[in-house]
Amino acid sequence: MDIIQVVGIGLLSTILILVLKEQKPMFAFLLATATGILIFLFLIGRIGTVLGTLERVAESSGMEMIYLKTVFKIIGISYIAEFGAQIVRDAGQESIASKIELAGKVLIMVLAVPIISIIIETVMKLLPA
Amino acid sequence: MDWLGGWLREIILVVLLAAFVEMLLPSKSMERYARLVLSLLVLLTLLSPVVSLLKKDVAAELSLALGKQEQGGGLMPGQSGNSLQQILADGQKLAKGRQDQSLSLVAEEVAQQMQEQIVNETDERVKVTVKLGLAKAGAEGAVLNSSGEDVPVITAVQVVLQAADGAETIAPEETSGASGAALSQPLEIKPVEPVDIHIETVPETGQQVEDALPSESGKSESIIELLEQKWNLTPGSVQVMGNDDRAGKL
Repeated sequence: MDIIQVVGIGLLSTILILVLKEQKPMFAFLLATATGILIFLFLIGRIGTVLGTLERVAESSGMEMIYLKTVFKIIGISYIAEFGAQIVRDAGQESIASKIELAGKVLIMVLAVPIISIIIETVMKLLPA
Repeated sequence: MDWLGGWLREIILVVLLAAFVEMLLPSKSMERYARLVLSLLVLLTLLSPVVSLLKKDVAAELSLALGKQEQGGGLMPGQSGNSLQQILADGQKLAKGRQDQSLSLVAEEVAQQMQEQIVNETDERVKVTVKLGLAKAGAEGAVLNSSGEDVPVITAVQVVLQAADGAETIAPEETSGASGAALSQPLEIKPVEPVDIHIETVPETGQQVEDALPSESGKSESIIELLEQKWNLTPGSVQVMGNDDRAGKL
């Protein structure tokens, strides 16, 4: 039933925004942002459930926690960057939105650096000097 | 074959996790990058036996690198000024705590052994408390050790003679230090005190006390001798107390 609530909030705010846009474009943008945050907060509990299940499974089966931590960081970075970029895009600042996305991509790539360095070191050691 | 099973399980889990996370990702634009990192993780898991064969622990190294990145990197670097001192201080604190713990454990063991020895040799009911201290190697009492580290040395031994009336048994718990003696004292002293007041006026009981004292001191001397011989202690570090002394102390 949660999906009905989310869609309801979305439809309601869309109609309001359409009405407001003619009179006060500024408030229309604020309403859009608030709706986005509301839906995000609504979903954050569900995401937490999924991540908690993953963590429990990984813990019980003895997987290395650092892998899970890296994966969670990827998810977090991409969600936050995506959300911020969409808000900025709603306000009509396409260029800033793409910069935010770029920052998210770079930060995800930075997470890969230690992994890449370990793999490369191993390969270099395997090769005859 | 145990490691093979663990390795396979880890691979399966990482692949499953990667597939799941890919579905969880919000947008297409991030997907390529996230997929790269995830595939690198899968590759690292596949390689982990080789890596651990060549080097140390994969996960530990990875967590170290990530932790360093988190501390020093980020968008605002330069806040990691005193990190080295902090880490060193933390390490010293940890080592100190562990040392204290092991010292108290050793003291308990030693006290137990001394107690057993005394009971075997003299048939006395006693309670032994041992205090351990650290001394530099090469100092007196620690001549055997040549590694230049601090070694534990018995600094004080406290033997408490218990009354032979059988009402009190030797307490098996051996909490180290003075706290153990302090805990057990109130239990025994309460009945003694009112008797003590009247002793001085009555000559018969006075006689009894004087009779008791030489045997007590003889016992304590033999106990001191025994402990000093068996444990190679410095003279004067053993202290024997009878029950009367303890009553007088309070």
